[in-house]
Amino acid sequence: METRFKTLREFPLDEYLSPGATMCAGCGGMIVLRIFHKALGGNVVIVNAAGCLTLLQVYPYTPLKSSWMYTAFASAPAGAQGIRDALDILMEKGKLPQGEDLKVVVLTGDGAAYDIGLQSSSGAIERGLDFYYLVYDNEAYGNTGFQRSGATPFGSSTTTTPPTNLNPAGYSGMKKDLFEIWRSHNPPYLATIAPSHVVDMLRKIETASGFRGPKLFISLSPCPTGWGFDPSETIKLSRLAVECGVWPLKEAVYGKVRHTVVPKVLKPVEEYLRRQNRYAHLFTPTRQEEAINFIQEKVNEYWLKVSATEGHEVIKPINLAEKQTE
Amino acid sequence: MNLKSIYPPHGIRIYWGPMLRIRFHGRGGQGVKTSSRILGRAAFLAGFLAQDSPIYGAERRGAPVVAFTRISDSVILERGFIFNPHIVVVMDESLIGDWLARPLEGLLRGGVALINTAQAGAPLEVSDSHVVVRLNITDEALKIIGRPVISAPAAASAAKITGLIRKKQVLEATVEELTELGLAEETVEKNLRLVSEVYDMTPHHSIKINEEPSRSLEVVDLRSDRVVFSDILEVGNAYLRKTGNWRVFTPVVDYGRCTGCMVCYVYCPDSAVKLDPDKKPVIDYENCKGCLICVLECPMRAITFVREAKAYA
Ligand code: SF4
Ligand code: SF4
Ligand code: SF4
Repeated sequence: METRFKTLREFPLDEYLSPGATMCAGCGGMIVLRIFHKALGGNVVIVNAAGCLTLLQVYPYTPLKSSWMYTAFASAPAGAQGIRDALDILMEKGKLPQGEDLKVVVLTGDGAAYDIGLQSSSGAIERGLDFYYLVYDNEAYGNTGFQRSGATPFGSSTTTTPPTNLNPAGYSGMKKDLFEIWRSHNPPYLATIAPSHVVDMLRKIETASGFRGPKLFISLSPCPTGWGFDPSETIKLSRLAVECGVWPLKEAVYGKVRHTVVPKVLKPVEEYLRRQNRYAHLFTPTRQEEAINFIQEKVNEYWLKVSATEGHEVIKPINLAEKQTE
Repeated sequence: MNLKSIYPPHGIRIYWGPMLRIRFHGRGGQGVKTSSRILGRAAFLAGFLAQDSPIYGAERRGAPVVAFTRISDSVILERGFIFNPHIVVVMDESLIGDWLARPLEGLLRGGVALINTAQAGAPLEVSDSHVVVRLNITDEALKIIGRPVISAPAAASAAKITGLIRKKQVLEATVEELTELGLAEETVEKNLRLVSEVYDMTPHHSIKINEEPSRSLEVVDLRSDRVVFSDILEVGNAYLRKTGNWRVFTPVVDYGRCTGCMVCYVYCPDSAVKLDPDKKPVIDYENCKGCLICVLECPMRAITFVREAKAYA
């Protein structure tokens, strides 16, 4: 399929989100939502589970020009099923013209996607529900003050995983691999996206729209408030996450994975980590070499595997031994 | 370029056809929500479509509570608060002077204020602007039930005033609603007697449904004295919130350097960068939150920022 999107010149100009939402200034999730909506067009109904973006709508205000439904944490995909069925029945009965059909979009944070709503999204994918799922992943429960979620990466400090004497690195577990969990369901389309990589995002949404069934997107959503960085750096951090290999951009069509942005040379993860307060304890008062290296190693491992399986031109990971002897 | 060309003008009102809007005011524990439900159900039994809902969040015992019932013979697409009711039911007269509750606010011309009061006064007072109906429901409830529970009789009274609902339907609705709440049969019986009594006590006054599109969906923000457009039916109305007031630093575009590359437009999280017909960026200062992503991302370094102190209203 020839893509409509080659450069920012083709960026859709119709606006579906008006200003005035009460998200934090510089919220990465908002950037993704705005672009995502532009790519889908106006005939959209958003099913929003509890999370930061439920504050989009505080009565009587709404920034959206599309419809919106609010569900409990666990049940956005179930709500989407209900709406999808209702639309289908109305069209079947001739009560809704085909042209007025809506795209059903589940919008949740990582708390709902990785933890509380994992079951209902699994069910919806299993049933082949024709919907989009957009996760804005800020890697913690941002709305309630940044508690650890299943999406929190190793080394991040959150209000529930502060660095302590026992766990000086902050969170000692690993980020759950939602991409792989969802991929095991074999959905028609699944991708990761990032707000910095707009053309990549637009193309993926375009590709996805060619499929019937679950179309799933996991977006990195830099969160100035929770991650602790200046709101102006949201895009910069998103870009660094991709360039350091921390946030791989990939897609899976019926389970077959392809990386869409492959950094030729990985930047050291440190460049990404350093700019965020949630990792500050890794650098001050004493540098936690072991923890930083561990994060780097995991990234290296990941990309070596990718270049082996997908046959990319050598991706040069950061050589830790070399770096240390420098 | 001004915002009005992008967003619908404030003046547009959507009117969904003839509909009766009833607003109940009371205090937590008085059965305000139940009252709105009984009325809704009775209307439904009378062959209408009905919608009822309370406002959640302030349902603490004794706190002012509000609930709404809409009655129509066609599909009800309106949601949310009722700002300009045809009927207000004031279940606790002490609320009339309550600055926060303001139960009489927005009552339509020709509308009815049904007030539960122990004060003496004309039971029916008709003026140019509205009608006041005074009933002593509480004393009636104390007499029959022994407790000041007035959800069912208040609904009965409102039902009669609509001129659309018969006593039989209110009685039936009362049984169904109160049974659903798990009330003992004996209590339900007493309520039925009370309903019957109060329905008969209520003066006849069938009100005219206002077919004119009302200016029903505006409220005055008491702090700013500004008329706030409060209709969720207007899509994308959040721009009225003026998040420009959040800002500490203000981005400023140097059009001499700007090449119109759209990067700032693409990355602005809040749609606060518009494009003029030449695709040059125009910042919506009433809403720009000042995150300064545009400043950092502009490849031409064409956006700078200044400290600004100004309030947008
Ligand atoms: S806490 Fe983070 S994710 Fe939530 S609105 Fe603020 S910036 Fe966005
Ligand atoms: S990013 Fe800079 S150069 Fe590009 S349109 Fe905006 S102001 Fe102009
Ligand atoms: S400062 Fe932020 S909110 Fe304001 S125009 Fe720039 S990107 Fe948009």
